[in-house]
Amino acid sequence: MKRFVSLLALAVIALTANAKDQLHLYNWNNYIAPETVKRFEEQCKCEVVQTYYSDNEELLAKLAAGAKGYDVLVPTSNAVQALIKGGQLKPIDKSQLPNLKNIDPAYLNTPFDPDNKYSVPYAMSLTVIGYNDQKIKELGLPTDTWAVVFDPKYVEKIKGRVTVLDSSSELFAAALKHLGYSSTDVEEAHWKQAVDLIKKAKPFWAAFNASSYIKELTVGNIWLVHGYSNDIFQANLDAQAAGRPFHILHGLPKEGAVLAVDNMVIHKDAPRPDLAHKFMNFMLEGRNSAELTNLIGSGNPNKEAIKYIKPEILKNLAIFPDKAMTSKLEQLKDMTPAQRRLRNRMWTEIKAGR
Amino acid sequence: MAARSDGRLGKWLVIGPPLAYLLVFFAAPALIMALASFRTPGEFGGLSPLLENGKIDLNLDSYARFFTDSIYAQIFLKSVWYALLTTLFCLLLAYPLATLIAKSGKRHRDLLLLLVILPFWSNFLIRVYAWMIILGPNAALARMVNGVLAWVGHEPVPLLFSSFAVLICLVYVHLPFMVLPLYANLEKHDQALLDAAQDLGANAWQRFWRITFPLSLPGVYAGAALVFIPALGIFAIPDILGGPEDSLIGNVIKQQFLETRDWPFGSVLSIVLTVAALAIAGFAAWVARGSLGTPSSAGEARA
Repeated sequence: MKRFVSLLALAVIALTANAKDQLHLYNWNNYIAPETVKRFEEQCKCEVVQTYYSDNEELLAKLAAGAKGYDVLVPTSNAVQALIKGGQLKPIDKSQLPNLKNIDPAYLNTPFDPDNKYSVPYAMSLTVIGYNDQKIKELGLPTDTWAVVFDPKYVEKIKGRVTVLDSSSELFAAALKHLGYSSTDVEEAHWKQAVDLIKKAKPFWAAFNASSYIKELTVGNIWLVHGYSNDIFQANLDAQAAGRPFHILHGLPKEGAVLAVDNMVIHKDAPRPDLAHKFMNFMLEGRNSAELTNLIGSGNPNKEAIKYIKPEILKNLAIFPDKAMTSKLEQLKDMTPAQRRLRNRMWTEIKAGR
Repeated sequence: MAARSDGRLGKWLVIGPPLAYLLVFFAAPALIMALASFRTPGEFGGLSPLLENGKIDLNLDSYARFFTDSIYAQIFLKSVWYALLTTLFCLLLAYPLATLIAKSGKRHRDLLLLLVILPFWSNFLIRVYAWMIILGPNAALARMVNGVLAWVGHEPVPLLFSSFAVLICLVYVHLPFMVLPLYANLEKHDQALLDAAQDLGANAWQRFWRITFPLSLPGVYAGAALVFIPALGIFAIPDILGGPEDSLIGNVIKQQFLETRDWPFGSVLSIVLTVAALAIAGFAAWVARGSLGTPSSAGEARA
């Protein structure tokens, strides 16, 4: 018994000694460089506790169900909009973020969060075409248009070798762009045209896939995807590391594409808003921000980060789009419940029907 | 008297905790879900306030949506069909296996049972992902199948991202749930009955069909329920292995809570799924009671 008590005492001491200051970061998987985390921990003399989500919907569902204990979240702009509407965020104190000046003004004061009351940009990605250069060149298919995904005359040549994102908002956005509409169009008639387009192209697609297409591209099972620019970047790194005879390249659709800007926000019940501000300011430093881009090939809205970024990444137009492309990029918007219902009805029809 | 109340206390102490557990973690969420199914989705997700302008906001909109739009019933039927096929294949595979285990000697029996349970030692999702590799177009299986198809002049078929992949994995994942109750039943069969039947001139098939199979029915029903019900609601397998046509009811429910943020409609679909599962389990129990006459009268005959 005595022994048990002393063991218990030891355990209590160990626990209290461990109760360091902690920052709870709820982030996308693999969305911060390990060395960046380490440096921040040294600087703030605190511990970063990370949990991950795989899409905005997961984050929204969890917070809507009342999850607590997170300090900093990194949602995409349209999810920021939903979080603000749902009263889930704490306003940021800009006096604690001197590095906010590093952000390109083009990414500040957007309609999603006017005057950046709640959010600061973190990193971004484009939803584009990713392809196996060897196979697509052999078949002579274009890679600068959504037609290669939707038009049977092209996509029939790569039947069963194409995946599209398993996300109704992303797929509708691409289809609407192909039809010449805005990707945030909410006209029901236009959505119906998109459904028809998708249904005609669907027999040629292998799957709706949002998770394993990186691996499928890498091993050469899938030749063309509708996917995120940083995933495609990752697929190419993996293919090169495995010594494959092909590259996985980005194709920028001339019709335009979806831009997703991920932002740092503070949850309304954040246990440590002080550490949250410190972390945000730290991530706004050029060097720290650049580490993420160098690791995963994400776009970067931070002007001070540019000088730390590897030149081959800077040259990639799907990661750092030029002026012409930038003008054709659109961010998705949050929809109303009625629009979401209608969209889901159409999505169910797409996935169930023949 | 004192002893009697002691006994009652003891009884409550034993059944109290599991009862409380079920009340808290099954009944309460089910009630919340039932209530949510009559409410309106919130602007941001979740539910809109129950009381709005002094009026209680409860409506049948989500039910109306389910019953007026045949697409959901179609997906439902498709899911029932997949679950039925899964149950059938599991039964066909598990029966010989369970018989083999029940008939083998003590030492081998334990080893064989261990092998049946072994897959549970690794995570469900990892096992599903493993099928992605097994069924991939460059893997040996797909090459062999397509080699044979090419030989008979058929064009190659993809194994991964197909209904075939979904079904094969559904059967794989649920097989132990059929083997274990069948084994538990078959192991208890009295060899004397079969010997007697043989003495009376019954051949192997007659002995199986008229003695072993009827006696094993409780095991078959238990296994069928354990396979059918989880297979009906599954979403991970079609998500990972399915092609563009393989969305099942579990996937549609998941979408309501994630992408669409429509809790009321998700609740309606879940309730319909629960009711369907209960109805099927009830039907199975009813059939089982009807046919249990055979084994129990056989038991009486034995006595």
